[in-house]
Amino acid sequence: MSEKQTKQPTSPAKGGDEFKRFIGFIGTDNLSLIFALVLLVFLITIVSGWFGMDGGDKFFSWQNLMNSLAQAVVIVGLIAIGETVVIIAGGLDISVGSIASIGSVVAASVLVGVGTIGSLNFLTGNVVIAVLAGIIAGMIAGAINGIIVTTLRVNPTIATLGTLAAFAGFAFLLAPEGKPVGVMTQPDFTWLAQGRFLEDTAIPALGGAKWTGIPVLTVILVVVAIFVHILMSYTDFGRAIYAIGGNATAARLAGINLSRVKILMYMLSGGIAGLSGVLLAARTTSGNPINGTGLELQAITAVFLGGAATSGGKGTIVGTFLAVFLVGILNNGMNLLGFNTFVQRVALGLLLIAAVAISQWRQSQAERSRTRIANAG
Amino acid sequence: MTETALSNPPPPPAKPGTLEIRNISKAFPNVQALTDVSLDIRPGEILAFMGENGAGKSTLLKIINGDYQPDTGALSMNGQPLSFSGPHVAHKAGIRVIYQEPEIIPGVDVAENIWVGELPKRFGLLDRTHLNEQVQNSLKEYGFESALPMHLLGDELSSAQRQLVEIMRALKSGVRVLALDEPTSSLTDDEVERLFALVRRLRDEGVAIIYVSHRIKEILRLCDRVAILRDGNLIAVKSASELNDAEIVRLMVGRELSSVFQRRRAGTDREILRVENLKSNWHDDVSFRINAGEVVGFAGLVGAGRTELAKVIFGDLPKNSGRVILDGNDVNIHRPDEAIAKGIGFAPEDRKREGLVLIRSVLENASMAILKQLSRFHFVNSRLERSVISKFVEKLRVRTPSLEQEVGKLSGGNQQKVVLARWLAAKPKVLILDEPTRGIDVGAKAEIYRLIDELANEGLGIMLISSELPEILGLSDRIYVMQNGRINGELDGPTATEEAVLGLAIKDHFAANPKAAAASI
Repeated sequence: MSEKQTKQPTSPAKGGDEFKRFIGFIGTDNLSLIFALVLLVFLITIVSGWFGMDGGDKFFSWQNLMNSLAQAVVIVGLIAIGETVVIIAGGLDISVGSIASIGSVVAASVLVGVGTIGSLNFLTGNVVIAVLAGIIAGMIAGAINGIIVTTLRVNPTIATLGTLAAFAGFAFLLAPEGKPVGVMTQPDFTWLAQGRFLEDTAIPALGGAKWTGIPVLTVILVVVAIFVHILMSYTDFGRAIYAIGGNATAARLAGINLSRVKILMYMLSGGIAGLSGVLLAARTTSGNPINGTGLELQAITAVFLGGAATSGGKGTIVGTFLAVFLVGILNNGMNLLGFNTFVQRVALGLLLIAAVAISQWRQSQAERSRTRIANAG
Repeated sequence: MTETALSNPPPPPAKPGTLEIRNISKAFPNVQALTDVSLDIRPGEILAFMGENGAGKSTLLKIINGDYQPDTGALSMNGQPLSFSGPHVAHKAGIRVIYQEPEIIPGVDVAENIWVGELPKRFGLLDRTHLNEQVQNSLKEYGFESALPMHLLGDELSSAQRQLVEIMRALKSGVRVLALDEPTSSLTDDEVERLFALVRRLRDEGVAIIYVSHRIKEILRLCDRVAILRDGNLIAVKSASELNDAEIVRLMVGRELSSVFQRRRAGTDREILRVENLKSNWHDDVSFRINAGEVVGFAGLVGAGRTELAKVIFGDLPKNSGRVILDGNDVNIHRPDEAIAKGIGFAPEDRKREGLVLIRSVLENASMAILKQLSRFHFVNSRLERSVISKFVEKLRVRTPSLEQEVGKLSGGNQQKVVLARWLAAKPKVLILDEPTRGIDVGAKAEIYRLIDELANEGLGIMLISSELPEILGLSDRIYVMQNGRINGELDGPTATEEAVLGLAIKDHFAANPKAAAASI
C-alpha cells in the first residue's frame, strides 16, 4: 500500500485507465489524507451545528474556505513545500521561519527605501524588484545553510537551529533601528496578499451572482507547488534528492555531487521561505522582523503528515500539499469552534508527534514486507 | 501411524521422536517459497539443508520454528499433529532453531541470558549462587568454559558466543530437534571444531539435528543425510556418503557448473589505466597497469588496502601523491562524479550500504550514473531512460517484476545485477568490481562470471577485487597480490596457484600464523 508513492516520479501505470492514473498521481498514501480532510470538514460542520455554535454554516461557505486558504494555509504551505525537498533528502531546515523574517524585512525596505538594504536606493518603489530582493535574500541564507552542512559537515538539525537564531537576529539588524517597515502606502505590493483574481465576476449559472474570486496568494501557492512537483518528479535534481535521502553513500558513488545538490536544495528551501516572508509583509502591511517566527513548526508538521519519511528518501509534494490543507483547516476549524490559541498550540505539537509516529510505523511495515520477501525469495 | 496420504510404497513407520514434515507448501506475494515438501527429521541424525539463496531453506526453518504457518501440509511427531502459533510454542515442544543472530539481552551477563524467563528465585529475589552454579556446570559439561566466560555481558559477546548462548538455552530446556542456520559463518577454525564436537555429541544423545550451510566440505564431513532444495522444491534427500562436491552443486543448481570460470583470454597491449607511485593514507607507493580487454585480479587478505585502492582511484578517498593515467592522459580525480565522467566505473563491495538506494526503483538505480546524458535542460527523458536501461536489464537477466520494482525487494544476485547494469549503461573504459559475487548464489555467480568475461572481450579493462581465490584464479589474466597497502607481487593468471597467491599475500608475517591467514583470505 505504501509503495505506490515511491514510484510516483516514474511514469504512471500502463493501462490508460484515467481513474487509475489519477490515483497514481495522488498516490495511494495520499488517499488517506484526502479521506482525513473530508472527515475533518464533516466533523467540524456536524460538531459546530450540533452545539448550536454559529460556525456551522459559515464554515462550509465557499467564501470561508477561500479565507481559510488565504489566511492560514498559503504561507505555511509554501514553506512546507520547500521543507519537503529538504526532508526527502534526509536533511532538515529549521531556519525557514527566520529566513521568512529576513525576506519580509528585505522586501519591505527595498520597496520603501529605508534601512540597511533600502538605503542603497536600488529601484525603490518597484514591486518586482522588492519581491526578487526578498527571494534572493532567502536564497543567500539558504546557501549559507548549505555550506555549513556540506563544507563544515555540521548536522543539518544543529546547523539550521544555529541559523534559526542567527537569521532571526539578522532580520532585526536589517530593519531600520530594528523596527518594522510599513508598506501600507504600497497598494501594488499589498495586492499580492490581499488581491483576488476574477473578483466580482458575474456567474450566469448562479443567476448573475457575484463571485468573490480567487485570492492571489492561493494562485502563488499552486504555482510554486506545481513548479516544485515538476522539479522533484521529472528532473535530475529531483532524482538526486530522492537518491541522497535513500542512501547518500550510494548516491555519491553513483556520481551524484552531494555538496552541489545539497547547497542548491537549501537555496531552494531558503528562496521559497524568502518569498513567504515577502507575502507576509504584504499581508500584514509591514516588513516585520518577527513575521516568520514559529512557521517552521507548522511546516515540518505538514511535511511529515504528508507522508515523508523521517529517514529520508520518501515523500511527495502532493502529500505535503494535502497535509497543509489538513493543518490549515484544523486550525481554522478550531478557531471557528472557539478554541483559544493555547489549545491550538497543544494540538499542533501533538499532531507533529503523531505524524512522525505514523511515518515511523509505515517505515517499519515497509521494512517488514521487504525482509519477508527477501527471506521467501 | 499418521493419517497423511502418501504415494506408494508406504514409508516405514517413523522412529519415535521423528519430526514428520508432510506436504508443506507456503506462498508469499509473487513467490512460491515451498511446494509440497515432505521430509523426516530423525532423532540421532544430522540432516543438512542445502540450496541456493531463495531455494526455501529459511522458509522451511521458519515453519519448523513456528515463525510462519504453512499454507497447506502439517508437522507431526509421534503421531501427534503439531501446530505452532509462534516460536515459544515450538520451544515448548522441544524444537529450537538457532539463527545467525540470536536475540541477546545486551546489559545482562551470560548466565542470566541463558536462563532468561526462568531465573531461579529465592525469597522472591534472584538466586545468583544457584544460577551461576547451574550455568558453570553445564558449560563445563559441554566444554565451553573458556569459549563463553560467564561474566561477560550480552553486548560484549561475539557472534559465535551469542550462538553458544542460544544453544545453551536450547539444551537447558531439553531440546529434541535442534536446527542450526549457517552456524559457522562467523566462527574461527577452532570454534568450528568445538561446535562440531557438540553437534555430534547431541546427535549421539538422540537429538534430531538440522544443519543449514553453504559450505559443502563442512556438510560432507559432519552430516549423515543431505536434503537439497531448489526453487521451493525438495530435489533430493541422500545419504552424505553417496554425495560429493560436484554432485551437490549439480543438484543445487540443476546443471553442470564445470564451465563456471570459462575465460577466453582477450587482453590487448593497449594500456587503459596506469597508476604510478600512488601514495595515500592507506597506500605506500603502489604502481600497476590494466590493459584494455584485460581482467586484472587484486588478491590479498582483508585489510590489505584493495578496497581503499579502488576508492582512491575512483576519487572517493584522497590520494597524497602519484600519477593516474587513464587511456594515455594524466587525470586528477577528486570526486566519484569526475571519475565517472572520465570513464571509470566502481561497483562497491557492500551493495546494500554503498551500491544501491534500496527504497528506489530498479530503473532509478540503474540510470543513476548516466542521468546527465539522459537529461536535456535537466529534464530526464524518461522514454530514452527506459529504452536504455531495459536493454541492460534484459542483457543481465535481472529477475524483476518491472523496472519500477523497489531494488530492496530483489534477491542479492539480482541486486548485484542492477549495480552492474548501472555501470554497463555508463560505458566506462575501466570497471572496478569489488567482491562482485559476495553473498549471492551459485547460479547468479556463474552469470556474473560470464558477464565479466564478455565485458573484457568488448575491450573494457576490469579491476577485479576478490577474496575468493578460485574466482581470482579462474578469471584473471594477471594478478596483483597486496598486503599492508603495498603490491607484493604480480602473477600470470593462467599459471598462478593458490599457494603462490597466498605466499605473496602473507609474505611479511608468514611465520606468525599461516593457518589463520589462510582461513581469512
